[in-house]
Amino acid sequence: MNRNFLYLLTTALFAGSLQAEEITLFSHRHYEADDALYEKFTKETGIKVNVVKASADELIERLKAEGETTKGDVFMTADAGRLVRAKAQGVLQPVESAVLSERIPANLRDPENMWFGLTQRARIVMYAKDRVKPEELSTYEDLADKKWRGRILVRSSSNIYNQSLLASIIAEHGAEKAAEWAKGVRGNMARPPQGSDRDQMRAVHAGLGDLAIVNTYYVGLLVNSTEKKDQEVGKSLGFFFPNQDGRGAHVNVSGAGIIKHSKNKDAAIKFLEFLASDEAQATFPKETYEYPVVPSVEWSPLQKSWGEFKADSLNLAKLGELNEKAVEVFNEVGWE
Amino acid sequence: MIAAVQKHFRREVDLWSASTFVLALLILTPLIVVVVGLSDAGPKWDHIASTVLWKYVWNTVLVVPLVGVLAILMAVPPAWLVSAFEFPGRRIFEWALVLPLAIPTYVAAFVYYPGLEAAIPFIVSVRQNFGFDASQVAEKIVRYGLLSILLASVLYPYLFISARSSFSQQRRGVIEAAQTLGRGPISVFFSVALPLARPALVAGLSLIVMEVVNDYGAVHFFGVPTLTEGIFRTWFGLGDRSSALRIAGLVMLAVLCLLWAEQRQRGRARFSEHSVNSTPLARRKLGTSKAVLAIVVCVVPLGIGFLYPVFRLLGWASQTFGKVLQADFWQQLGNSLLLSLGTAAGLTAIAVIFAFATRLHHAGWLRVTSRMATLGYAAPGAVVAVGVMVALGGVDRSLGQQVLSGTYFAIIFAYTVRFLAVPFHPVRAGMNRVCGSLDEASRVLGQSPLLTLWKINLPLMWTTLLAATMLVFVDILKELPLTMILRPANFETLATTAFGLASEGRFRECSVPSLIIILAGALGLMVLNRLTKRKTG
Repeated sequence: MNRNFLYLLTTALFAGSLQAEEITLFSHRHYEADDALYEKFTKETGIKVNVVKASADELIERLKAEGETTKGDVFMTADAGRLVRAKAQGVLQPVESAVLSERIPANLRDPENMWFGLTQRARIVMYAKDRVKPEELSTYEDLADKKWRGRILVRSSSNIYNQSLLASIIAEHGAEKAAEWAKGVRGNMARPPQGSDRDQMRAVHAGLGDLAIVNTYYVGLLVNSTEKKDQEVGKSLGFFFPNQDGRGAHVNVSGAGIIKHSKNKDAAIKFLEFLASDEAQATFPKETYEYPVVPSVEWSPLQKSWGEFKADSLNLAKLGELNEKAVEVFNEVGWE
Repeated sequence: MIAAVQKHFRREVDLWSASTFVLALLILTPLIVVVVGLSDAGPKWDHIASTVLWKYVWNTVLVVPLVGVLAILMAVPPAWLVSAFEFPGRRIFEWALVLPLAIPTYVAAFVYYPGLEAAIPFIVSVRQNFGFDASQVAEKIVRYGLLSILLASVLYPYLFISARSSFSQQRRGVIEAAQTLGRGPISVFFSVALPLARPALVAGLSLIVMEVVNDYGAVHFFGVPTLTEGIFRTWFGLGDRSSALRIAGLVMLAVLCLLWAEQRQRGRARFSEHSVNSTPLARRKLGTSKAVLAIVVCVVPLGIGFLYPVFRLLGWASQTFGKVLQADFWQQLGNSLLLSLGTAAGLTAIAVIFAFATRLHHAGWLRVTSRMATLGYAAPGAVVAVGVMVALGGVDRSLGQQVLSGTYFAIIFAYTVRFLAVPFHPVRAGMNRVCGSLDEASRVLGQSPLLTLWKINLPLMWTTLLAATMLVFVDILKELPLTMILRPANFETLATTAFGLASEGRFRECSVPSLIIILAGALGLMVLNRLTKRKTG
């Protein structure tokens, strides 16, 4: 009797509401448009979506600490590397879903179906139109050439997109060549790495350098900014997909997997399938300027204006595996 | 022999000492979890030690003294001016100079970040005139300089508060003696006032050092990886939590050494402050030109640390507040206020129990455990979060279901671990200063400890209690990493909302929650100021 009361009291105090149809999303993504998408999912299925937002690594630590008691159902990141790490740390479980396997290309999901890419971003080169001719640009490898000395702007090595770009170069050429490349690019930088991708484009516009290595969706954010100055920056820069004659431009995904100790696996699978649906996929190009993973889904007008491109077909699981090696290479060559 | 020990033991163990001991142990658990983790060397330790560790150390030892010196320049001259002289606006500066404390460093960072962009033409011209290498040096000076200025401008109030209260308590006799011996005002300041205030200055400065060492947002924004950023890079980038915790351990150790040194030198210098007992310092009226100079000296830190950021934020907010002030927002405001005020009051209560128990018993073991429980202030927020997560997760798993993790309790517990030091030190000092031997008299007359505390100690020191609560309230209101990592689902505070918007680059919308944090913090600081002034003045 007494114990029951105590139990009730503690559940009331600590557990919050208990509803049958709800899932809890542990997410690294923090875009406003996502919330609208989750509301749509709730409207269609009656399943409520609770969200815990923090950085992916913090969420992995939390999932490990919570173990089988966790309330988390879906784990979502903004890069493949963290998905691979979550899998390696044992916080995800495999999912059998014909819908997901069919709609999402094989290189954008885990070979063992532990995680699935949901949106894509490419890492590309923006150049100052008045100082660089597009013919001068060719590959990522070329950015290490001495002709670019003092002309390149790129953010710090703690940034995951730089890490995955270097991982793709390690996958292609091996660690030694990749280290030479990173050293060359570091030597060509117009200033020590700092700021966001958008800041690199602003610095090119301000004349500090001629090239910025950035993600496509940051270009979208900049061009569609409400700030006049940022719109001007967008107009003054040209857009270039590297390695089109070779392996293709480097792409990464934002993706998700189902948490190992999820208590609502069916609802969680429904949620992932919803995010891979035409309806959800079509919102990403418009709202966050990310590319859809489902090939048949239409791009936004802005993305169409950048043109079709060849993407590196490397399996993203490989990027995750090489991520730590990439960070070590950055540390060794002094790319801060 | 054994009987004597038992008797001694019985005398020292009562409700107060036992509850202090148990609470302190609970609060220490997450830190113990972290320290236990230090022993296993992470797989990437050798790699870090041979490549980037010295850079993290170098950036830290570069930025910390830079900020320290700038903070001294911003805090000490105004504190001396408002204490020793009369000039127009003095009464306003006396409290307004504390206001920058309400501004979180990450907000100051995004307000001042465009300054780096504005400096690009200068760097380009250095490059054209003096070559590429010179431009790299110029860029570094601008970046490190701006970062240090902005950190100093929002942290100097820690030093200002302690300097002002020390200066205003200095006695006329000493100063006049110096003047009679032919010392000019500047010489009096350097040879008498400053040395007398040294313990207070070092105490204020050590708080600033801890804040700088533990800062993550601003240094990351400005591309200056310090040891705290090194922790995150090692943990997230290399996936090596053990090595990350080892760096955190190093940071905590360095801070502990600093605290110990501060304690030692304060201990030695203590009696000098109270040995002279005469009338307090009378403020001298300044002539027009000197008054103008004094006003400038006060306006500069206030302008950089408070007026400009608020002006900038107001400009952004005027365009976006309609979009931000929606139902969610009031919920976040309620969350922030309730959580910070409630926890602040609770922490002050714990501080009272600790201080009273050590006063009742004068036992060494009690003093040591209660002091240990305040060490969380020396640890970066994310490190405390890891300790709390592991400790609470362990409890939950042994219960077989989630009871503690991801609840409000988890956040409040983490705040306690991290911030108990903030109310503990003023409450302990206040109790010793204000209560004298009054409570002992009450005890001798046979009153119970609880009644004594209730009737004697608390009524005597309620201003101290309120001031301590306000100070920790402002800290919790600004807190970010703990809240981010440990919060329940769908839970946002003003700080987490501001951070989310800022990390999307939406600074205009971010300005509204930032301003509310600043406003609430500023109100808290004004209350604090009123209280401390009444106490000392």
